[in-house]
Amino acid sequence: MAGSLVYRKRDEFDWILFGVVFLISTVGILNLYSTGTASGSPELYLTQLYWVVLGGIGSFIVAIIDYKHYERYGYLAYGGGVLLLILVLMFGKEVGGSVRWFAIGEFRFQPSELMKVLLVVGLAKYLHHDPKAEGRKLEDMFIPALMTGLAMVLILKEPDLGTALLCLLVFLSIMMLTRLTVRSTITLLLTTPIVAILGWSYLLKDYQKQRVVSFWNLFVDPEADKLGAGWHANQSMIAIGSGQVTGKGYLQGTAGPHHFLPECRTDFPFSVFAEEQGFLGAAGLVLLYLFLVMWCIRIAAQSRDRFGSVIAVGIGSIFFWHVVINLGMVMGVMPVVGITLPLFSYGGSSVLTFMLGIGLLMNVSIHRFRRNYSA
Amino acid sequence: MYISPRNELSEFRRRYRWMRLFVFLTFLIFVSRLVYLQLVHGDEYHEKSMNNVIRTVSLPAVRGRIFDSKGRVMATSMPSHTLVAIPHYVDMGEGFARLVELLGLDEQEAEAIAAKLNDYRKDSKDMRRFQQIALLESMAPEQLAAVKAHQDELAGIDVVDEPRRYYPYGEVASHVIGYMNEVNGDDIVHANDNEDIADKYRAGDLIGRKGIERSFEAELRGIRGWRKKVVDARGLPLSREKVEGLLPDASMQEPSPGYDITLTIDVALQKLTRQALSGHPSSSAVIMNIHDGSILAAVSRPSIDSNKMTNGLTYAEHETINENPYRPRIDKTVYENYFPGSVFKPFTAFAALEEGIVTPEDVFNCSGFHEFGGRIFKCTHSHGDMTMYDALVQSCNVYFYNLAEMTGMDRIARYAGEFGFGQKTGVGYNTEATGHIPTREWYDKNFPGQFRIGHTLNASIGQGNTKVTLMQVAAAYSALANGGTLYQPQVVKSIETPDGEVVKEFQPIIKRRVTVSKHSMDLVMEALAGVVEDEEGTAHSAYNESVSIAGKTGTAQVVKQSRKKGDTMADFYYRNRDHAWFASVAPIENPEIAIVVLVEHGGAGGEHAAPVGVEIARRYFDEIAPRHEAPLLADSPDNNQTDVRVPVEDSAPTTASAHKR
Repeated sequence: MAGSLVYRKRDEFDWILFGVVFLISTVGILNLYSTGTASGSPELYLTQLYWVVLGGIGSFIVAIIDYKHYERYGYLAYGGGVLLLILVLMFGKEVGGSVRWFAIGEFRFQPSELMKVLLVVGLAKYLHHDPKAEGRKLEDMFIPALMTGLAMVLILKEPDLGTALLCLLVFLSIMMLTRLTVRSTITLLLTTPIVAILGWSYLLKDYQKQRVVSFWNLFVDPEADKLGAGWHANQSMIAIGSGQVTGKGYLQGTAGPHHFLPECRTDFPFSVFAEEQGFLGAAGLVLLYLFLVMWCIRIAAQSRDRFGSVIAVGIGSIFFWHVVINLGMVMGVMPVVGITLPLFSYGGSSVLTFMLGIGLLMNVSIHRFRRNYSA
Repeated sequence: MYISPRNELSEFRRRYRWMRLFVFLTFLIFVSRLVYLQLVHGDEYHEKSMNNVIRTVSLPAVRGRIFDSKGRVMATSMPSHTLVAIPHYVDMGEGFARLVELLGLDEQEAEAIAAKLNDYRKDSKDMRRFQQIALLESMAPEQLAAVKAHQDELAGIDVVDEPRRYYPYGEVASHVIGYMNEVNGDDIVHANDNEDIADKYRAGDLIGRKGIERSFEAELRGIRGWRKKVVDARGLPLSREKVEGLLPDASMQEPSPGYDITLTIDVALQKLTRQALSGHPSSSAVIMNIHDGSILAAVSRPSIDSNKMTNGLTYAEHETINENPYRPRIDKTVYENYFPGSVFKPFTAFAALEEGIVTPEDVFNCSGFHEFGGRIFKCTHSHGDMTMYDALVQSCNVYFYNLAEMTGMDRIARYAGEFGFGQKTGVGYNTEATGHIPTREWYDKNFPGQFRIGHTLNASIGQGNTKVTLMQVAAAYSALANGGTLYQPQVVKSIETPDGEVVKEFQPIIKRRVTVSKHSMDLVMEALAGVVEDEEGTAHSAYNESVSIAGKTGTAQVVKQSRKKGDTMADFYYRNRDHAWFASVAPIENPEIAIVVLVEHGGAGGEHAAPVGVEIARRYFDEIAPRHEAPLLADSPDNNQTDVRVPVEDSAPTTASAHKR
């Protein structure tokens, strides 16, 4: 009798999440086409299209299997990620002074990209089993911090400052989700600057410091060092600013087609987009990302359990920080670090990683009504 | 209901709103930043982005040509191609190697060009690396073709068409035409300060340096144009379809060519004048139309080919020119002051006649010297009894000493001044000397208490402190022969557009009508005829019965010099020999032209300068303006100067022989 009264909610495909991702990916591919028109490699957008489709199929598969199974293998996933990072350090291909990739024929795979998602899964597993309704002390965070730290150290070894920084930010975002005691919060705030100074002194490479310094100089005197390290930031701002309200029109920009932004496909696709589509397009894209991140938080809030919430917040934070660091860089409010714009930047590993994340999000969203009493 | 700890979501629940707020605020920053970049400063960034891709290439204006009075081209611009580069964009590896290969340069040339590029490239902060520099001038046709064909492989390299100045007559009129060379910092600053110069000079531009090229720089130069072209960050040009919409509406401004200039100079006359002077290494001559002051020939020897000066001298050539004792750089017709010597005597005569101090018939005895104030003033020899006619014909100094003593320095100076001495003629090209006519006041001011009548005696025969230029003598003798109208010498007849449309026609400029009576002038003209025709005349040795010419010889003393180290005896004698003058008008009846010749260190005027003048006159009447045919200059269709000179023609001197004693 009761059963006939209680409306039992069913699994539901998250069309809104799908729609946002579809929109961003499509616009991203079209934008890549524009950057490639004059560069002699116009087929890049096609490669990107393949990756998006492949990643989309992958994410669909990831989404339909109830995530309780992922929870079960959470540490294994994390451990596998760490193993890949160690292997890449041993057998990876060196490109431009850093060892980040496995080269399998034409295809290059970057484990550190995958690691971000696997770290989220690992942290979710830990927090899933460690509820602290009364408030969390710093020592309760020791294991998650260790997990993150291990991943970061391995990634910094490559070295890949941007991704390491992202792992840290993802960790901090997930920590935001938990309820730290007041004392712990204060301690954390006091120790952070010390860690930052030590990191600057011992962890950062010279060229990375150079980028930060050049970024700072750009703040102080935007005209200085136009051709040195500040070239990218300066050219990116010129490209974005010159788009004005309505932009120069599709395929009519200067930054991409004319080589004024040499790394426009991976790091500066937004600049190309903003130049060609103007404020209307650029602000629209920014709002799409805002919506995506807000949707992640909504999925987290509606999740059926702690694992799902941490997954949604973790994946959401990956998207969020990628967007923040990339947009901050291209708009000249943050230093130039090579962080991609989710589903917009060219790159197979990047697209696959984000699609994997989307799959997990979709999973949490789909299965939010399936209460698991048995566990 | 039992809730598993893993479903204990209360720990997270209150965090979400803070997360949402944080995320929202962060994105708000980005949207604001977009507002700032695209809406607030959009215009600025748009301009910067245009400057990124649009490179403005300047299109040089074709400089106006210079013609002689008969339409012969004396200066023109020939097409020439210069290889230029923006050092920053040049690929010094493969790209440069390709360039060297395409140009077919040898190792040394390639190294020189690489060194030039590297000099601009070495400092990344040096903005000169974005400046267009010339790598190779006057490219060979096959080099031009090779570079044009492989433009897409040569980042940062371009070819500009830069017309080159060419002077077909080389050094024939090089002092009048002048030459050009590259602008210097002062020229650029001057142009920037001058609001009249709209098209500012830039480094590498050529500018007229001497002569007409300099004086008429503004008219000849034209206004350069520009073409905007779209390039990528490497400086490679992009094709039309890729740049559609990027170029502003006006992508090109055609250059406007400079005006052509027609001179009053007749190259044929100029040439024969040079030939007549060819025996005299340092000499000059001016031939002027006495009825309008136009200069028909102005020769200063030695001279330097304008092509050589414009294309740049080698260091050795430079040294040779500087060490040449005959001063080839100097235009002796206007820049150099000379003692006029006896050429000045007619003007002393005018002062004495007009002031009623002597009559033409008054006789003074010349015993070969004149004693005054305990000093001896010499004559060439003892002339015996002299009238004014005799004194001019035989150039007797003693007669003029007597005249000067009675007339006084200031009166002589006044009449000399009426004929334009002591003042710049305003001929309008090259630096002009003023000359000098001494006065009592001048002596009192500069040499207080030292004035002696002796100074007047010297002044009367064109020595002492009397200095003149050839141009002044030519203008003065023209006035003397045309009935007393002093014209401003002019060398430019007209300015035209390249299509031949006349922009400006230069009319004769009358400076003044001298107050000397026709009677006095006739008398002097008669005497000048006698200088050549009379057996006693100082120029009689140059007499040619087929040439009708009246003139005055002059032998101007030079400052005596001691023998310098390294001087040969010949050098020593040369430098101590007097300058030889011959100032003349021809023909005697209805004179048309004034011919003034100066042979530096030539010796006696009658022997060394007069033959040159007579030879010029002979060939002028044989080759340039044969007698009893069309009058001078009237053969060019656009000439209306014959009309202009009507007012002075009725006062032209009549036959001089009527006044012969």
